[in-house]
Amino acid sequence: MGGLNRNYQIDDDITPIVKEMTQEAINLFEGSAGESGPSQFTDEATAKEVLGTEGTVASGRMSLTFAIEMLRRYFGADVFNHSGMVDLRFLRPVRPGDTITFSGKISGISKEANGSKISVAITAQNQKGDTTGVGQGSAIVPNAYLPPED
Amino acid sequence: MVEADNKILLDWDALEVGETFEKYEYVLTQEMIDTYRKGVMDLEAGFPTIAHKVDVKQYNAKYRDNGSVNARCAFYCYSPPIAGNKITVRAWITDKYLRRGKNYIVTEAVSVDEDGRLIDRVITHELKQPSEVGKKWGG
Repeated sequence: MGGLNRNYQIDDDITPIVKEMTQEAINLFEGSAGESGPSQFTDEATAKEVLGTEGTVASGRMSLTFAIEMLRRYFGADVFNHSGMVDLRFLRPVRPGDTITFSGKISGISKEANGSKISVAITAQNQKGDTTGVGQGSAIVPNAYLPPED
Repeated sequence: MVEADNKILLDWDALEVGETFEKYEYVLTQEMIDTYRKGVMDLEAGFPTIAHKVDVKQYNAKYRDNGSVNARCAFYCYSPPIAGNKITVRAWITDKYLRRGKNYIVTEAVSVDEDGRLIDRVITHELKQPSEVGKKWGG
């Protein structure tokens, strides 16, 4: 996936992504880093002990990953993987069985040395409509990917 | 790395902003990348380093506490890591703050691969009273 030529405007919507959270996905995420011991993410008893919750929760870093995916798909990997960022605050837990929708809207455009910084307001909501995370992301889109100026 | 038995009990008041941890090195394998991509349901996911939680790894190796909850996390993408490359991480305490009676620690880490490529930067705000969120979340 390369950079995408696009005309960016404030309030443009970003194409949302939807993720079905499962315990298996959480276990794979945690296990990918070689973590095999029980944690609040993978073990109900540990979650009860550490958090006081009745079940496991997903790491906030999974939500961060999904927000990054949304912006990478929007800006293109050539752009986002080299200049992108996401900053998320985690407001509510994401649990196995939840369906989380990540959406975004362009909130700012500013000139940089070799392109434009496009900022995006990001929201994550579960299937009940509760907001699980909010934040912002951005990428610096090179001039070559922008329409020529008048 | 400090052994588990020698961990220091966290004294939040005494913790110094700017404390830099021992460098952490690991080899990112293709299996790690494949497992990560399967877990996040994205076959093009470029930064499996996110799952390694490298910003808190050395903190957790040095200190023991009551656990934590990730309250906020920022991730900066510079170059997707390459399978088989050794990655070196530098991490430090970048801030700490008290909000609504709860203690937070902010850690920051920068990852560079064996070819000197800057991979990513991550900044995490961790709440150090995790049982508080359990109460808020309603179990």
